[in-house]
Amino acid sequence: MEMDREPGKLEQIVSQFRSKILHVILESRVPSLHHQQQESLSLSRVRKTDKWFNLVLGDRPPALENLNFSLRNLLDPMVIDIILVRHGPCSSSVDNLYAPSAAAAGPSTETVIERWVVQYDCPRVFATPSGAEAAVSYKKIYKKCILLLRSLYSQMRLLPAYRIFRQLSLLSQTYNFDLIYKVSSFSHPFSREEEDGMKEYNFTPVEAPPGCLCVSVTYRTTLSDFNLEPLVSLPPKIITDYVGSPTTDPMRSFPSSERGAHAISFPSRGLRSPSSIPFQRPHSWSSGFHRGIPPTKTQSLAGSPPAYRTSCKPYDISSPPADLFGNRIQNHRVSTLQQATAYDEYKLSPPFSPSASPSTPTYLTGANPLLTRHCSETAPVTIPLPLTGRSTRYLSPNSSDPSRHSLPPLSPRSSKHDASSQESPSGIRSYRKIEALRAGESPSGLSNLYSAPKVVRDSKDDSGRFSGLLSSSGSPRIGFSRSSSRLSFQDDMDDCEFSCPFDVDDVDVSDSSSQNTESKKASEFTAQSNLVGKKSQDAAVGILVHLLRTAPPLRQDSSCYSTHSLKTEYDGGVGMASGFFLPRKTADALEELNSYREMKDLLLSKSGTQAVRKEGMK
Amino acid sequence: MNCEVCQLKELEVEHFEIREVLRCILHTIVFHRALGLVRPKDVDLELFEITYVQCGDVELEKKIDEKIDHFISWVEKHPNKKSQICLSFYEVKSKQPFWFANKTERLYWEQWYVNLNVTQHPKHHSSKSHHTKVVVDPGESAIEERSSRRAMVEASLREVLFQIIKFVNEKKDHVPPISEGVIYFPYEITIPSSSDSAFGMDMIKRMLHSGHPTMLS
Repeated sequence: MEMDREPGKLEQIVSQFRSKILHVILESRVPSLHHQQQESLSLSRVRKTDKWFNLVLGDRPPALENLNFSLRNLLDPMVIDIILVRHGPCSSSVDNLYAPSAAAAGPSTETVIERWVVQYDCPRVFATPSGAEAAVSYKKIYKKCILLLRSLYSQMRLLPAYRIFRQLSLLSQTYNFDLIYKVSSFSHPFSREEEDGMKEYNFTPVEAPPGCLCVSVTYRTTLSDFNLEPLVSLPPKIITDYVGSPTTDPMRSFPSSERGAHAISFPSRGLRSPSSIPFQRPHSWSSGFHRGIPPTKTQSLAGSPPAYRTSCKPYDISSPPADLFGNRIQNHRVSTLQQATAYDEYKLSPPFSPSASPSTPTYLTGANPLLTRHCSETAPVTIPLPLTGRSTRYLSPNSSDPSRHSLPPLSPRSSKHDASSQESPSGIRSYRKIEALRAGESPSGLSNLYSAPKVVRDSKDDSGRFSGLLSSSGSPRIGFSRSSSRLSFQDDMDDCEFSCPFDVDDVDVSDSSSQNTESKKASEFTAQSNLVGKKSQDAAVGILVHLLRTAPPLRQDSSCYSTHSLKTEYDGGVGMASGFFLPRKTADALEELNSYREMKDLLLSKSGTQAVRKEGMK
Repeated sequence: MNCEVCQLKELEVEHFEIREVLRCILHTIVFHRALGLVRPKDVDLELFEITYVQCGDVELEKKIDEKIDHFISWVEKHPNKKSQICLSFYEVKSKQPFWFANKTERLYWEQWYVNLNVTQHPKHHSSKSHHTKVVVDPGESAIEERSSRRAMVEASLREVLFQIIKFVNEKKDHVPPISEGVIYFPYEITIPSSSDSAFGMDMIKRMLHSGHPTMLS
């Protein structure tokens, strides 16, 4: 007998053939085993088991080895049932997603959708081939087993159950069904109705004398009868209170405003201190109104207006939006440092939709820079326009109610959607000034603000204000905001502060209170007046300008008064110096005015005389 | 040795489906004839819900794609024609006639004929386009017609694959023994040439080489 000559060879072939078939079937029907195989296939090495029948399948699962052991009697058939387990209706609820065991415990139905039968059919009585024939026989048997396995491998992918297997193999989805397998040496016959929906295919047996290897499959031709559907992984959740939603509270829809307010509060803290250095922005276009703004005003300027504050409050109390960005917003509000860390999160956060809040247009007009909409956290707000008349228009609401909002509108330029990346030179200049001045104010404030520019760049919270302030160009916008805010309050504060249109860079013009200085100026003026007649008209004008420059303020401290003699020689009526030292009354002012008139007439007459002289000289 | 011939069922395909259909069929055949050590590679078709298996040899895949490209070019020049692609497996035998030098000849032991009927003019769309031919009346009916047609092609392709599997199972004796270190048997893919007559001549030459041509249904 062949097996007597080669006792183990045929048995080995049959045994390995059964194992290989089992491996092929399970790896293309059982998702868990398939994943294991995929991992092992990634390795380039070829295992000993892979070499059998020249089909690399990867590591055999341990369960398979156990099965092989239990079915070691090669003469017994190996029946592999692929069973479709369908979970009951109650098991498909969402709750079961959180309690998978509940799904298993629920009612489920099992249906055999495929049955593979592998059997070495060996007759009891057979002929004994010779040695040479046997050797050739083993090779042929082995080759035919390879061919059978190839065809079985292909057919596994063409049967209906393969689609279900592929669905279950998707880890991203859960279903109300599952595929399990059962391997046994016997099989329960199908019922009549089960057989009706099934079809049988018999692979051509491989002659392996004394017997033959037979493989057959009985499979359901269609699986559409079963209600196979994916389980809902997460209940659909519609977020209605997203930032920018028109249905949400306008205040709440801009949580960035509160945050912006908080963020702004950092520098404002420094500004709130009474000892803070008065803000000065010696810039010509600011018209000098900004000088000497008390910090208190700045505080209210930099702080959030009541409108913002009210919006802050509900935001503070209420939980942030349920979305991820909401959490980021929450993080954003904690501190600038956290803002810095949260910047990356902001960058990843989905962009806010352009706020459709009804309040947005109002803010866009510049009334409320904190609520200025910035449609994209990536688009920096442009530098505000210089405080021209247009800007003044935006500022007028500020001036009317300084407590309403604290910041000047960036929107004049931001609403224009200028290329914000371009910094205006004036802005840079003002920024530098501001920084220099603010250096001592609140290092923790502005510096923090500057240190975390990125934090607020893309944040909607600042409602564009900070994004405008701290865009790619960074801080200059802060300077602008500051200056413009100061300008707004300057309107309110237009009090006794001396403002001289000509005093552009000279900051101490009005502060001279020294008597010596006055006397020096007076003498200087007298000396200059003596030369009036000799100099040209331009010189006279220059003298007049200087006179006006050195003129003391109307409200002069009594200590500045001097009874210094006004009896100075002067040629003309330029001796106005006396007027500087008299008590300031209306009459004095009138007299001074008259003296100025006389001086003017003198100058004019002198200029006329000079012209005559020149003509005479000619 | 007999030359087993398998005439596969004719498939009615559109131009843009040629590549996928041919890839599926040719690779399936070669996989069943790549009896060396292979690492099977599952490939999902894009146009149909069918998964076929490749033997994983990169060189083979490249050659098959080249042949498919040539075929598509031929189809573009000969539109609306029934075409046939022949996949042949042969053995290299060295003849040693005493009056000639050593000469090798090919002994074809198996031939597969893939019959395609390309139904659409190739100029209407590219091979990779997924659009069907110009529909005079676009709308739901066109979409339904397209989907039903697609289902028919898929079913036909599935039948062809089953046909291959059945043929492989039923005919095993003519397959030559496996050589050591050889992954797949030498093969040849023949596409229609520029003229039909030349194609016929190729067939005659092949028959002469094979020695005992047997047309099995």
